[in-house]
Amino acid sequence: MRRLQKELLNLTTDPPPGVTVDPEEIGDNLSEWTVSVAGPASSLYEGETFRLNFRFSQKYPFDSPEVVFMRPNIPVHPHIYSNGHICLSILTDDWSPALSVASVCLSITSMLSSCKDKKRPPDDAFYVKTCNKNPKKTRWWYHDDTV
Amino acid sequence: MAGVENTGEAGATGGQEGPEASDGAYECNICLDQARDAVVSMCGHLFCWPCLHTWLETRRNNQVCPVCKAAISRDKVIPLYGRNSSNKDPRNQLPPRPPGQRTEPENQGTTFGGVNFGDTNFHMSFGIGAFPLGFFASTLNFGGERLNPHAGLQPGQQFHADDQMLSKLFLGLGIFCVIWILLA
Repeated sequence: MRRLQKELLNLTTDPPPGVTVDPEEIGDNLSEWTVSVAGPASSLYEGETFRLNFRFSQKYPFDSPEVVFMRPNIPVHPHIYSNGHICLSILTDDWSPALSVASVCLSITSMLSSCKDKKRPPDDAFYVKTCNKNPKKTRWWYHDDTV
Repeated sequence: MAGVENTGEAGATGGQEGPEASDGAYECNICLDQARDAVVSMCGHLFCWPCLHTWLETRRNNQVCPVCKAAISRDKVIPLYGRNSSNKDPRNQLPPRPPGQRTEPENQGTTFGGVNFGDTNFHMSFGIGAFPLGFFASTLNFGGERLNPHAGLQPGQQFHADDQMLSKLFLGLGIFCVIWILLA
């Protein structure tokens, strides 16, 4: 868990733009974090603020963190389901231990930036009804790199 | 604040690092600490060997560099040996690092005559009947070429003449064999 301590230190001292973390909110064992992400400037989400929930397993960083948007404010985006689950390949298949909380936040920010049309994924209603609580249990199908 | 903490950690884990050690250039890309039992990938990324080994075991069927996703494997990483690293026994670390690889420099005198093979191609083309002869010629040729450097500044004209004569001789033999095979 030394690595998580280092990440927390880096994230509080030198966060990526729009990302804030309050160490007071994070418990002592660092296995669950709440990170705030501001809607990127000159994007459809400008002015909004979202909260992300990170859960780290014992195997982190070899195992990817579980990342979901927290209610009540879940961005309306073609790759973000209304229960907060995110369809993002680096959170499962393309995870690498060289990635970090900061780089995940950056990816999500870029995903929001490049969105042209605020809408839910086409299968949102079905997915939210049938999915596992843990988004890592979903077999995601990554097919669209444009957003 | 971060700088102060970093130097403190480097001092605690790595011993005598200079001030440049705290800038992160020698941190493992996985654990973000000063790299221990350091190995570097062909793509130039630094890791602790235990960290990288764990990752390679995690994704056995798809071993890629955590930083740049280049292909990576146990055999394709280079261990780094600092001057002071011999003081600690890396074998106490599990898993052990892969050994360094040394390739002996190639010796000119003992090079295999594969380069000369092009010259003897002609002899090889006679087909099955002439094959052993062609092979014989190529061995002779090889010997001649190899002797050339020892002839000093004047590459032996004689060898050249010999070569030509042998060439004609074997061409004749080859044609003879082919005709024989055709008639038989």
